Amino acid sequence: MSHVDEGTLHAYLDGELPPAERTALETHLADCATCRATLTEERALRERASTVLGSARPAERPAPPLERLRREPKRSPWRVRRSFAWAASLALALGLGYSLRTPRASTPLQTPAEPFAFMQKGGTSTQEEKPQSQVQSQVPSHVQAPAQRPPNDRRAPRAEDELVTRGAPRADSSAQVATRVRGAAAAAPAPRLADSIRLEARVASGALADAERDRAAAPSLFVDGAPAPTSMAANWPVISRRVAKTILGEEPVGLPGLETRTFRRDPGTNAVVVEQALDSSTVIQIFQRPAGGAYPYDSSEAAPANASRARPRANEAEGLFRERGNRLFARFVRGLRVEIKGPLSADSLNRLLEQVAPLP
Amino acid sequence: MPDDIAEVYRNTYPALVRFLYRKVWDAERAEDLAQEAFARALVHRPENTRGWLFVVAANMARDEARRAAREKRHLTLLKSEPDAVHSTPEDDIDAETRTKRVRAALDELTPRDREALLLWDAGMSYDEIAVQTGLARGAIGTTLARARRRLVDAYDAGLEGGQHVARG
Repeated sequence: MSHVDEGTLHAYLDGELPPAERTALETHLADCATCRATLTEERALRERASTVLGSARPAERPAPPLERLRREPKRSPWRVRRSFAWAASLALALGLGYSLRTPRASTPLQTPAEPFAFMQKGGTSTQEEKPQSQVQSQVPSHVQAPAQRPPNDRRAPRAEDELVTRGAPRADSSAQVATRVRGAAAAAPAPRLADSIRLEARVASGALADAERDRAAAPSLFVDGAPAPTSMAANWPVISRRVAKTILGEEPVGLPGLETRTFRRDPGTNAVVVEQALDSSTVIQIFQRPAGGAYPYDSSEAAPANASRARPRANEAEGLFRERGNRLFARFVRGLRVEIKGPLSADSLNRLLEQVAPLP
Repeated sequence: MPDDIAEVYRNTYPALVRFLYRKVWDAERAEDLAQEAFARALVHRPENTRGWLFVVAANMARDEARRAAREKRHLTLLKSEPDAVHSTPEDDIDAETRTKRVRAALDELTPRDREALLLWDAGMSYDEIAVQTGLARGAIGTTLARARRRLVDAYDAGLEGGQHVARG
């Protein structure tokens, strides 16, 4: 046997050499000092390469429950931002800046109605319980990678179809609009015309009843970066972590690595809020409660704006709550329904929410 | 009988994220794509879930890389980048520099060598790598040997050069 080539040695080191070849190689190595020396070198190279490659790795975060992925293909934050811009400008162009009609019309309007709100709002009347983040994720499915879809991908018609087939005027008309708007934005690469047109027809034919329009418009008025108003949770009693765990039935969740300032308990519903400091002046509130219960937070403090609006219970059960200039987004972490609020952009909050995990 | 996707999900998700990360170089994006790949697997129920996932992921990453190149200039930094949550600025700088060097070194590999290396690192067997890359199984060892050597050489050259960082 002549000297062994490095490919064989790597296969050997990788444990991928077929048994017969392995035996032959080991026999040869026993007799050949040169090949033993080479093997030592290649072993070092292999380990070095592994170390180099291993030094460029993402921080490992727990996978979301598989169940969440079923109807929730994730979006690119990049593309979302792009569609924000599109949706925002088109929404204004289409005269959908209903924010002007809200009682708080004095709120500065330099920032256009944040299209994120449209997406957040989507699906509020679905019968099935699903986190609103799913809805946002579904919506731009056709925006996402239209050019690349594996063969036999039968998932193609997702959000639009759902929106259309759920039937009858509903509260998520704003989501339709947003969908259509984003659909228009993405029309060039993926002309999903049938769906777009159907949606357009629905909107044009007056699916937006006045009452719905008001409701749809209400939470869309955000001023990016506005300071958080007095939190409704500020006066909730402070509790210990142990008590929080008892209330929740499992470890409270938060952002790993952030300083946890306080645990509080909502005296009305026994929900728990974890307050964490992002920096010296930015406090994030992470609301949590066992999933499945009724949605506990009513817009008590934002009442002047919302009281007259009689939002249906189903809407709130969807977990979609906002104070003006502030935002609350929801997702599930293990058995908890988790919402986040803080004086950050919607995008930032969503990204933080993605990272929420049981506190160490 | 299709694999148990839940099982594959548990075992393969981190590897798939890592695989994607080294293609798109954005941790969150890599997670997004990995989840999208699994979401599609849930619909398609492929026979060989793991192999299928990596094929789909590689395709998505390729499209993603093209798109990212186009869109990069439009990006603005978020007020709070998630990584800042986990580490101090000093760690970030080091990690970032290191990542850039690895990225630059990986760029020195041929696409096929790089693919084989990343798939191996993601835990795929020679058989699986052969199927995915179209290489003969007997050529995988040689391919990996070459890929490893180039990676290490390019990385070390980058360390010495100092200026040699990612071009993307």
